[in-house]
Amino acid sequence: MKDILKITLPLVAIFIVAGIIMSVTYQHTYPVRFQAEKKEKEEALKEMAPDATDPIKPAGIWSADNKSYEYYQATASGNSVAYIAETAGKGYSSFIKMLVSLNPDMKIRDVKILDMNETPGLGDQVLEKSFLDQFKGKSLSQIILTKSETKENIQAVSGATYSSRGVINGVKDAVQLLVDKYGAGIKTAVQGVAK
Amino acid sequence: MSNNASLGTLLKNGIFGENPVFRLALSLCPAVAVTSGVKNGFLMGVAVLFVMTMTNVTVSLLRNFINPKVRIPSYVFITATWVTVIDQVMSAYQRAVYKEMGLYIMLIVAFAIILSRAEMFASKNTLLPSFVDGVGMGLGFLLSLMLLGVFREFLGKGSFWGTQVLPAKPLLIMIMPTGGFFAMGLMMGWLNWIDRKFFGGAGASSGGH
Repeated sequence: MKDILKITLPLVAIFIVAGIIMSVTYQHTYPVRFQAEKKEKEEALKEMAPDATDPIKPAGIWSADNKSYEYYQATASGNSVAYIAETAGKGYSSFIKMLVSLNPDMKIRDVKILDMNETPGLGDQVLEKSFLDQFKGKSLSQIILTKSETKENIQAVSGATYSSRGVINGVKDAVQLLVDKYGAGIKTAVQGVAK
Repeated sequence: MSNNASLGTLLKNGIFGENPVFRLALSLCPAVAVTSGVKNGFLMGVAVLFVMTMTNVTVSLLRNFINPKVRIPSYVFITATWVTVIDQVMSAYQRAVYKEMGLYIMLIVAFAIILSRAEMFASKNTLLPSFVDGVGMGLGFLLSLMLLGVFREFLGKGSFWGTQVLPAKPLLIMIMPTGGFFAMGLMMGWLNWIDRKFFGGAGASSGGH
């Protein structure tokens, strides 16, 4: 009995002290981290629609793959300049989290990857500008992944097909949502081709 | 043990004589996993350097308090505490660095090299040598990872730290996990050859995971 206590007590003491250290650190860093994350999100949204003069506020919540994301309407003195949606697609080893913004004519304005955990050196090449810039100006029906060089569609990064597919799927979902929500005027034309 | 060894020798020991990757052959999985680029290797190395030094210091301070029968859980818990603290502080105050390194920090808890230094060295030595041993081993790990990173990134992507230096990708397989094993084996053999040829050493013989 005495031996057990002799072995256990120091171990328990270490656990308790370590627990206190960790919780104190958490308490002190949580508010700072929360603020920083909030600010980062605002900055990312601002980057998606630099010409929006009014603050970008969430317009609603949508869900894909059992996760919920927000979408936004960016306005400048009351007029819509862009529609933005948070989205994600399953890549090779992670969910690739993105922001997609559309111009009022329902063509893609910009795609920005917020968070991902793809293979360094291979999958993370989807972060490269040359890949993401392909999306600019494309409409829903053009978001198709090909392996050969293309101007009409999107060319996958060689060696990162799964990651490219993840990005494409996420972007497609987001564009579909925004077209459904805001693209009333040109909806039929866009969807007619998409089918 | 090395109580009488001068601190400079201890430092050098971690980098050359008992280099964690090429000599002790410990923590090879992270060494293979993250060295597809120089930058990844560097960031991982820095994170390990931090945690290793902190853990060594703490274990050394508590070495008479920790009961030998439950030393392993104690060491792991100390490592986990430091990893958590560093992760929390960094994610709050160093967002830019955290975005690059956050992925690696949490992995460090399970590194064989940290546990093995706590067991082999810090638990038997006083504060200062343990600190120096932690720094030396951490630097040894950092340099090994960078060496592997330079080699693999150059051959696999034709670049250095993300900057293209060759017009093509000479050997794409080098940045895949397979290439990691090739690079590791070649590098270890090459260093052993240098050691035998020029310094009359015996080369590395042990193996870890």
